[in-house]
Amino acid sequence: MLEIGRLRVFHGVIEAVHGIDLCVREGECVALLGPNGAGKTSTLSAITGAARATGTIRLAGRDLSGLAIEDRCRLGIAIAPEGRRVFANLTVRENLVMGGAIRRDRRALAAEIDSWFQRFPVLGERRDQPAGTLSGGEQQMLAIARALLARPRILLLDEPSLGLAPQIVGRIFRIIEELKAQGTTILLVEQNAAAAIAVSDSVHVLSNGVVTRQGPAAAFGDGSGLMDELTGVHG
Amino acid sequence: MSRPRLNSAQRRGLLGSALLGLVVIAVVGAYYLWGEAWQARILYATFVNLLVVVGLQVFMGNANITSFAHAAFMGIAAYTAAICVTPAAMKAVSLPDAPWGLNAFELSPLASAALAVLITGVLGLLTGLFMARLNGVGMTIFSIAILVIVHSIFLHRTDIFKGNQALFGIPKILDLPQLTLMVVAAIFLARLFRESRTGLMLRAAADDEVGARAMGVDVFRVRLVAWVASTLFFAAAGIAYAFHLGTISARPFYFNFVFLTVAMLILGGLRSVSGAVFGTLLISIGLEAVRWLETGPVLAGVKLPELLGLSGLALGGVIVAVMAFLPNGLMGNREIDDLVLRRRNGG
Amino acid sequence: MDYLIQQSLNALSFGAEYALIALGLAIVFSIMRLVNFAHGEVIAFGGYSLAVTGTLLTGNPWILMACVVLACMAVAVVLERVAFRTVRGADLTTGLLTAFGVSIILQNLFLLLGSPRPVAATQFIFLDRTLTLGPVRVSSLQIYETAVTVAAIVALLLFLRRTTLGMALRAAALDFEMVRLCGLRANRVVAGAFAISGFLAGLACIFIMARRGSAQPHMGFDPVLSAFVACVIGGFGSLPGAVLGGFLLGIAEVAVLILLPQSAGGLAHAVVFALVALILVWRPDGILSPAREKGDKL
Repeated sequence: MLEIGRLRVFHGVIEAVHGIDLCVREGECVALLGPNGAGKTSTLSAITGAARATGTIRLAGRDLSGLAIEDRCRLGIAIAPEGRRVFANLTVRENLVMGGAIRRDRRALAAEIDSWFQRFPVLGERRDQPAGTLSGGEQQMLAIARALLARPRILLLDEPSLGLAPQIVGRIFRIIEELKAQGTTILLVEQNAAAAIAVSDSVHVLSNGVVTRQGPAAAFGDGSGLMDELTGVHG
Repeated sequence: MSRPRLNSAQRRGLLGSALLGLVVIAVVGAYYLWGEAWQARILYATFVNLLVVVGLQVFMGNANITSFAHAAFMGIAAYTAAICVTPAAMKAVSLPDAPWGLNAFELSPLASAALAVLITGVLGLLTGLFMARLNGVGMTIFSIAILVIVHSIFLHRTDIFKGNQALFGIPKILDLPQLTLMVVAAIFLARLFRESRTGLMLRAAADDEVGARAMGVDVFRVRLVAWVASTLFFAAAGIAYAFHLGTISARPFYFNFVFLTVAMLILGGLRSVSGAVFGTLLISIGLEAVRWLETGPVLAGVKLPELLGLSGLALGGVIVAVMAFLPNGLMGNREIDDLVLRRRNGG
Repeated sequence: MDYLIQQSLNALSFGAEYALIALGLAIVFSIMRLVNFAHGEVIAFGGYSLAVTGTLLTGNPWILMACVVLACMAVAVVLERVAFRTVRGADLTTGLLTAFGVSIILQNLFLLLGSPRPVAATQFIFLDRTLTLGPVRVSSLQIYETAVTVAAIVALLLFLRRTTLGMALRAAALDFEMVRLCGLRANRVVAGAFAISGFLAGLACIFIMARRGSAQPHMGFDPVLSAFVACVIGGFGSLPGAVLGGFLLGIAEVAVLILLPQSAGGLAHAVVFALVALILVWRPDGILSPAREKGDKL
């Protein structure tokens, strides 16, 4: 579904990612792990078009280079970004409408929004409240639902567990598991290695802008062998 | 134990200022060698503008905040100096209704100038105390408020300022040589301010306010210092204006003048003193050419139509084009010494 | 009593005009951080387009009103396309100075193609009549102006709440990139903001022309200056702030005119601007400043 080759990402003059390769097959969940500053978010920004990058990014065989952010979204890339970035001044429902803004089937969209409200009753109860009044976990659910309402080919999740209480983290990962079971293709960026490996098919470990290890999730066990890489300590 | 009094950037600043001073003196020299008498007036006006633009650079360039208040301060200084220096006998005619005995005294040119600088500086300080607390857009609007308030007072108190009529009878005290000296001094002062501790902190705060605060920069204080310093440049310009022309009125101290000087600063690049100087010279030369076209001259036997507004159009075009293609102006962050030294190093 | 009613209506109609213009400035500022100094020239363009279409096309005032509004919308969108798109994302000063340059260009184009003297266009004068409501005599124009402004604000509110573009505009004020990540085209959102600001400027232009009866290169400058002040009072970029600031400014102006002795009438402008400066000192970000953090990540 998503193929990335020799990707380099730049912030201004600084190169944050130094030529990585990555592949996410349809229906698969791929975890991208790594410590702070490893280039995980930069990689996602390159995929969405928000950061300047060289190399190839293909979605379902189509080259994305040179396309604007909005055009990539229209081709099927949606993101629940780092820090969630819900529209705090819009209501919960309006946030979801924005998520599906590119769709023409208004009636199906409304029905789908209602089904999200049933799935996450907390959001349903607060559908007319500003999204800024939601808790962190609720905002994360909202951000995921907003991304999925665009009916993307691939969902990018950027540190969905960041800053959340442990019970809520568990809830978020159950949601990811459910999404995967429904056949959603996911690229998951995380620092919480154990939980991410548990829901993923394959794992890439990113450190200082290069992929240091990769393989099927099973090969990583419970992720305890990754402590060094993930804390940024090198022997 | 003894440290050199100037650091290397400041020594570079002296070199750069000297080079700019030479440019200014070369322009004056060219006029004395080949110029015609009517060009003296244009050159004088250009140099008054140069004082203003260099003063603008001190605040706008270093703080990266747009201010439109300079015409007001220049006007205040011009009127103060003019009212003080004009002989009482003349003021009995030109300002017959002036209150507070304003038409019954006269001061020496030096005392008049000193008083004008003092009053303008105090007003600069008072406004600065408020101004420096604001953020970007708020500051710009505040500066517009100053401009509008001062202008309405000029227009309203016709008994003191004569409004849009001329306040006449001001003795002619300054001429091109003295003004040239003032301009060269202003260039040195502006450049040394840029390279000073305060100037450096101000530029740091303009790039990253939060970061500069975190490093211990008192953004309020450095902005205030720059604001007051720049009003002193405007005061000098106002005095030079009043002490040469013989008459002044409120009209030139308003938006049109603001547009002109801001365009000059932008073209050269507001982050450097050299930019201020080159921008002023370029626009002054360009405008003279355009003004000539505007009057509908006869070119190669063809009488061109009168094109009122052409100079304004050119001015606006320069601003938009510079912002779109050269957002940092011709000079960007560079000073004249950067250009000269780089060439020497390269060759 | 009728003096009070007249003066209140005065304040409301002044405030309405400022609110219309200030809303246009605020909606553009909120999504692209552009201080649109050229907004006054959009209004002036409306005035000239009235003069031109009124002579060449038709005398029907209702059609002409539509023409004025459309002309303002069109010129606002065109300005964005040709001038402001290149500085999108640039810092505040760059945008402000660009707009400032555009404003000078347009003013001088009007001067060059039109005339420095006012160009008569009296088609909307009929809006301004003296109405006698019982014992009170009021200007019909002021009633229309207040009513239309209220209607326009309600319509804008509905637009912002009910339509996708409206929601996108509100969302973009907070996080433009996230709006694009939702697949909305940046150019269309920005063009939408300019179209709305042009629409509001067009409405204001109709009333300004009804009062002046002529178009002039600088006609938009003073109203827009006041509208800037209104925006700043309310908190730049906040739409409710723009409306609040507009009406507050209207009230302040009328109050100053009433309270100031006749001989000091020329200072009304100065007093109002001084009040504004004081408000800024009291609340540097305006009364209803939009929430915006100074850090890197929003």
